[in-house]
Amino acid sequence: MTFAADQVLDCSGMLCPMPVVKTTKAIKAMQVGQVLKMIATDPGAPPDMAAWARQTGNEILQEAKEEGKFVFYIKRVR
Amino acid sequence: MWREREDEDVKRVLYVQTHGRATPERSATPFFLATAAAAMDNEVAIYFTMNGPQLLARGAPEEIVVPKAGGGGRALRFFIDQALDMDVRLFVCQPSLDLHGYTMDDMIEGVEMIGGAAFNDMAIHADAVISF
Repeated sequence: MTFAADQVLDCSGMLCPMPVVKTTKAIKAMQVGQVLKMIATDPGAPPDMAAWARQTGNEILQEAKEEGKFVFYIKRVR
Repeated sequence: MWREREDEDVKRVLYVQTHGRATPERSATPFFLATAAAAMDNEVAIYFTMNGPQLLARGAPEEIVVPKAGGGGRALRFFIDQALDMDVRLFVCQPSLDLHGYTMDDMIEGVEMIGGAAFNDMAIHADAVISF
């Protein structure tokens, strides 16, 4: 299943905590209901993004691995 | 010293940094953990005591290089700016300024001072206190 992304954020090469920080800033600049596609190579990104979503109340619609990179579709819920 | 919040479900995390210039490998972690906590919509502060205020002395953030295996590494300034940019608050305690002969004029921009009573009050009202 694929989701239409309203915005794409490429965090390839960035390490903790940059992907989380950049995602937070990007999501806050978007409207509730919009979807952010975030790409990361940090091996800590999957658990970090899960914790971030749990804490902030936003939703990870999908997490996948494409060409060695982690790809997240994140919906701004609040 | 925590902000008054209308949003009652905000969690508060207080970090304590006791390490200073002698151990650059221990300098950056509280800043980046605090940055990550702030990015998760928590209210976050770092309290610098014992040798911690050395990290916030003018000039120090540019001089201290956070080491990296294999060489290279980044100036501590990068990690401090990242934390300040996410609204992490930086507190020093008065006695530990005296310990090093510092006044608030020796501290970088963005540093606030509190005393022991205020620190304990913050700890009691925090959801987590993490000490280094």
